[in-house]
Amino acid sequence: MGLNVEGIRKDFPILQRKLAGKPVVYFDNACQSLRPVQVIEKINEYYKDFPACGERSMHKLGKKVDEGVDKARKSLQAFFNAKRTEEIIFTKNATEAINIVAHALDLSKGDVVLTTDKEHNSNLIPWQLLKEKGVKHEVVEFNNLDALNDKLTKNVKIVSMVHTSNMDGTSIDAKEMIKAVHDNGSLFMLDACQSAPHKTVDVRKLDVDFMACSGHKMLGPSGIGLLYGKQDALSKLKPFVVGGSTVSESTYSSCDLEKPPHLFEAGLQNYAGIMGFGAAADYLKKTGLDNVSAHELRLNRKITDAVGDSVELLGPKNPELRGSIFSFNVPGLETHNVAVMLDEAANVMVRSGAHCCHSWFNAHKMLGSVRASLYLYNTEEECDVFIKELQKIVKLLS
Amino acid sequence: MICIIALAVFSILAVFSASYRPLAAEAFDCVFRKATFRKCRTNLDQRLKSQITGKLLTKSPGLARFVYKRFEILSWIFVILFIASLAYTVYGGYNYALYGNCYGPEDNGGFCIYNALEGEQFSKIHAELEGETVLPTADDDPAMGPDDAKVEMIEFGCYMCPFSREAQEVVKQVLEKYGDRIKFVYRDFPIEQSGHSDLHMASNCANEQGKFWEIHDLLFTEQEVCAQTTGEEREKQVQDIAEQAGLDMAEFNACMKSEKYEDEIDKDFQDGLKAGVYGTPTFFINGRTIIGPKPLRAFEKIIDEELEKAENGS
Repeated sequence: MGLNVEGIRKDFPILQRKLAGKPVVYFDNACQSLRPVQVIEKINEYYKDFPACGERSMHKLGKKVDEGVDKARKSLQAFFNAKRTEEIIFTKNATEAINIVAHALDLSKGDVVLTTDKEHNSNLIPWQLLKEKGVKHEVVEFNNLDALNDKLTKNVKIVSMVHTSNMDGTSIDAKEMIKAVHDNGSLFMLDACQSAPHKTVDVRKLDVDFMACSGHKMLGPSGIGLLYGKQDALSKLKPFVVGGSTVSESTYSSCDLEKPPHLFEAGLQNYAGIMGFGAAADYLKKTGLDNVSAHELRLNRKITDAVGDSVELLGPKNPELRGSIFSFNVPGLETHNVAVMLDEAANVMVRSGAHCCHSWFNAHKMLGSVRASLYLYNTEEECDVFIKELQKIVKLLS
Repeated sequence: MICIIALAVFSILAVFSASYRPLAAEAFDCVFRKATFRKCRTNLDQRLKSQITGKLLTKSPGLARFVYKRFEILSWIFVILFIASLAYTVYGGYNYALYGNCYGPEDNGGFCIYNALEGEQFSKIHAELEGETVLPTADDDPAMGPDDAKVEMIEFGCYMCPFSREAQEVVKQVLEKYGDRIKFVYRDFPIEQSGHSDLHMASNCANEQGKFWEIHDLLFTEQEVCAQTTGEEREKQVQDIAEQAGLDMAEFNACMKSEKYEDEIDKDFQDGLKAGVYGTPTFFINGRTIIGPKPLRAFEKIIDEELEKAENGS
């Protein structure tokens, strides 16, 4: 069943508006998606109807908050097919989720951490900085199983990989990678920021130990993300951000730590964000991620067929291997200039620069790329606008 | 280079709106870095370039291409123009403060660009003249309208001055509108360097025969033809105009030959100088000045105020 894109678009207030007399063509979804009214209403509901504390207040409003948070956690458990709700830990974003694992996992001198060469800074810097503890960070080629196997030694404690690259949309064969890592006795963490909004990420089928993702890329509010941790894996973590909610009892000299997920959710939480995140997961589940990815592929194919040969494409030419992302350079033009021109000319909003993947661009002696990233509410007509303006830029200015 | 203009524009806008202050700061940073031979850190110039090109892309792709490819040169041109116009503005302001006009002391045919509505004072152009400035009177010069009119408008004009010619249309509109409520006097102020007091002489000779306003209008109408002729040809041209005005030519020629109005014309000119006149046309409306060929509304404002004053007895 295909997507009812027109119906979906009605759920997004920003798409009903015009800027400078022109409709918004939002192709910056890999950075942050738009939000449907269902999510916005869910956020407002908290602030309007029960803006109270969760997990500690016994009054009616407090209970409503607990119910809302529990419901959201269940929605996300179902969305990722986690075994237990306790395995879903709310964070402020995926960056925080990865940092929790990097700092809470008891890594010590001589331990090795592996990542790919296409990591976002959020899945690179936390591991890099562990060198102060004597932990070695090494890089393997993206989606190269042989290269991974070559690096897998007994000292490798954890492998943290991006599922789908935010630069070019290519994905790793996660199942194969995870199996190899587990065979080595190491833990595997999946950065699912760019995959979870577009395709099914089944944490049990993949058998990941940890998984991180952000709400703002999958129709949810900004300032909310999650860390999935398999129960066994979570038990290996030592909490390093502690305080309210993370203990059940304390004296002047000791405390009784809570169990996950609360152990890793210190202090008052972003309740509105959590509930909005849950609503976003429900929305995507109802829409069907298979429908979403098929729709995005159709749009990406249209763009690739029209302008794929006129620009320097980042990643493989086959759009099936790039999913929702069309990342490119126009010869002779700076990436930011192209992005600004598209915006000024027709409100086509794309991302430009290094997309927080400076390491990859530096290694390839490139300054960055222009990235058009698609989502469920984008249309063929919007692609036509993008194609037309990009063709003009290529023809006239490059 | 565009950052220099951006700095000026955003700095002014920042005075009125806080939202422009970060942009002004960005532009300042960019200018400062470029002045110290470093690359603009904020890429403001690139952003402006792309924004301008992007806007042009939808309207005129060819122009967008031109601007994008030559942005640096265009930026330089705009910066030079900007600095030049800034320098001229300062120079104009200096002249205005010192001489009461924006062109400076050497200007003999120009007019202050400031609207004379606010210029209710004598020009300081002839400040070097000894003695106080003296308001001009109607003297015995040709006049229209009743002597007891509430408003007296004296024009110092030159028949060879294109600005005086331009002002005639407005003068007619003024006279038509105010009728008997205004007395209009025309006084001679031939611009010396041009050597054309013969035209003023002709108008005074015509006045003898009661045909002043006829020749006055014709001299302005034929101004361009007069300007192109000299010597005998010019003399012939003046005679043709006199004939058209219906003058007795023998009487007219005798008058011209006698040059008997030379003193009269010189007196007008000297009276003009004493009043601070430095160019033509200059109007004195009950002593208030209008310099240059100003629009009707400039005259209306002063005349209406003077009429109101007269009605209120003040």
